[in-house]
Amino acid sequence: MSNQVISLRGVSKSYVKYEDAPMLINALRLRARSRRSSLLALADIDLDIAAGESVGVLGRNGAGKSTLLQLLSGVTAPSSGVVKVRGKVAPLISVGVGFHPELTGRENVYVNGTILGMPTAEIDRRFESIVEFAEVEDFIDTPVKFYSSGMFVRLGFAVAVAAEPDVLLVDEVLAVGDFAFQLKCFARMQEIRAQGTTIVVVSHNVNVVRGFCSRSIVMSHGQKVFDGPTFDAISAFYNVVGKEVAEDVYLAGELVSHGAVVESLSLHSGADPAATLHFDSGDDVVLRMAVRATTDIDHPVMGMTITAESGTVVYSDTNLMSPFPPLAADEVGVYEMRLTLRLPSGGYFATASLHSAHGGTSVQLARAVPVTFYVSGRGLASGVADLGGSFHRAAP
Amino acid sequence: MLRELWAARGVLVILARKDFYVKYRRTALGVVWAVGVPLVQATVLAIVFTHVVGIGRGVAGSQRGYAVFLYAALVPWNYLVNAGPTASTAIVDNVALAGKIYFPRALPVLVTAMSAVYPLVIGLVLLLGMAVLVGNGVGVAFLLVFPGAALCVLLVICVGLCLSALHVYFRDIRYIVTAVLSVGFYLTPIIYPLSRPHGTLRHLLAIGPAAGPIEIFRAATVGADSSYGLAVLACAGWCLVFGGIGFWLQCRRDRVFVDLL
Repeated sequence: MSNQVISLRGVSKSYVKYEDAPMLINALRLRARSRRSSLLALADIDLDIAAGESVGVLGRNGAGKSTLLQLLSGVTAPSSGVVKVRGKVAPLISVGVGFHPELTGRENVYVNGTILGMPTAEIDRRFESIVEFAEVEDFIDTPVKFYSSGMFVRLGFAVAVAAEPDVLLVDEVLAVGDFAFQLKCFARMQEIRAQGTTIVVVSHNVNVVRGFCSRSIVMSHGQKVFDGPTFDAISAFYNVVGKEVAEDVYLAGELVSHGAVVESLSLHSGADPAATLHFDSGDDVVLRMAVRATTDIDHPVMGMTITAESGTVVYSDTNLMSPFPPLAADEVGVYEMRLTLRLPSGGYFATASLHSAHGGTSVQLARAVPVTFYVSGRGLASGVADLGGSFHRAAP
Repeated sequence: MLRELWAARGVLVILARKDFYVKYRRTALGVVWAVGVPLVQATVLAIVFTHVVGIGRGVAGSQRGYAVFLYAALVPWNYLVNAGPTASTAIVDNVALAGKIYFPRALPVLVTAMSAVYPLVIGLVLLLGMAVLVGNGVGVAFLLVFPGAALCVLLVICVGLCLSALHVYFRDIRYIVTAVLSVGFYLTPIIYPLSRPHGTLRHLLAIGPAAGPIEIFRAATVGADSSYGLAVLACAGWCLVFGGIGFWLQCRRDRVFVDLL
């Protein structure tokens, strides 16, 4: 199609890793070969992005996000395949790339602007608006080493968007600024998107992508595993995260079980039999665990915990005081916890376990691999729980 | 590649100016350091080689004349010493920027060569003053310093293009350059005239890469040497070899350097 601004066809990128440093002396020895291994960072990626689209790229560390950005910005060439990017690309990668601490804000605006492809006359013209957007009027002639990190980010962002690129690449940067500034950046990004700029947001922070991109791709181990609406992409991303976390947990050998084996743990939205990993705050959710008993269990009890990504335990409960009916050996018991997810935006882990109760105390028989999921919160609600507040103006 | 470099000329000028500012911003004496050091160096060398080693007067007739003779060589030599090592490691040293945004990888090499031109120009002015005040005065020949300076810049660019590309693969280059320059000080006709050694040795010293520009500077101030032409030709040859290999490497490897940084 002709209006594709970014088009990747069968793009792979591999890096050569030298096992030993390539020494000049080895290079001179004709037959000596340094041991090297190849690392596939991106495998056979196809991607089309149209003008004015904003696309999120989700993936864990090492999934290939940065390599993808480097290919889009033209910093590096693909090992195979074709990368086509039309127009001027401005990367907004890490805070104030090219800012020199000894130079003043003003000088850095000129240096950075020029690097981003703005002629001096254009920087002159936009200078006022850049400074105003960055809110650094009083410090513009101060060396940037005296800037707070917030001022640094603001100035870097202001210059990058002022360049009016055809493609804006946004890395984790925005996570650095405070919330008010993030909102301001999003507003500005929306403006330049309306003017036809294509925006690619790369992050492992789902909030940033959710707030801005209608379409997202999910990367895992160098492959594109999902491409579609952001809402479903978040579910796919948490699926990937969940699998990888599960691998970690298995490796850690934390899942010792005796007396029962957890066959599955899944989250469901209401009565929907299909499992999902992305919910809206306030959704009625079912946490369902299937367990196969290996011995007779007289008083089976379910325990469950929801933990925020920060590690805070959000909610934990058990039916220790009213156990389920006995479960015979080799029988499969399906147990459910029905709850309402009144949570603010963020990623969470849910885990469940089966215990055997003996008059007020219990012995853990089996524990499930945690399920990771994401909640899209109401508005700007944040904190540990969403208590469902609403704002009103009352009569004085 | 040439087209990309031409398109980036605005960036080149801004970055060169930035480099220069940054270098002297926090110093009390600023750019005085860039030209003061060679001046002191010339004076000390003049005294030592006249009174201690005792070759100064034989070379230039007087201690003062010898000082001009030395300074004429030190102006281009110090440019090479300032810009050469930085240019040779320019690609690796710019990794922070290079990993984020594309520009021709040869650009930092040119930036280094450019930013060191400012002190070179001030050095030229001081050389003129010195030649007039302490030396035998100057004539039209002094204009030769301009092609001399240009040859210096060209040499740094050509060597820089080649070595900065190799440096990505062989990090030893950084140390080799420093070593070669410190030995090169004695293998280049700086403290002695090219006419002093005889036979093969003279020819060998004349074809050293730095001999060309230095001989031009000498021709501009204290008079040309007999091996002047050979030295300039040899320098042009070095430029061609390094520049050719460098340009070829830069064209071929431009987009993959970053993978190895």
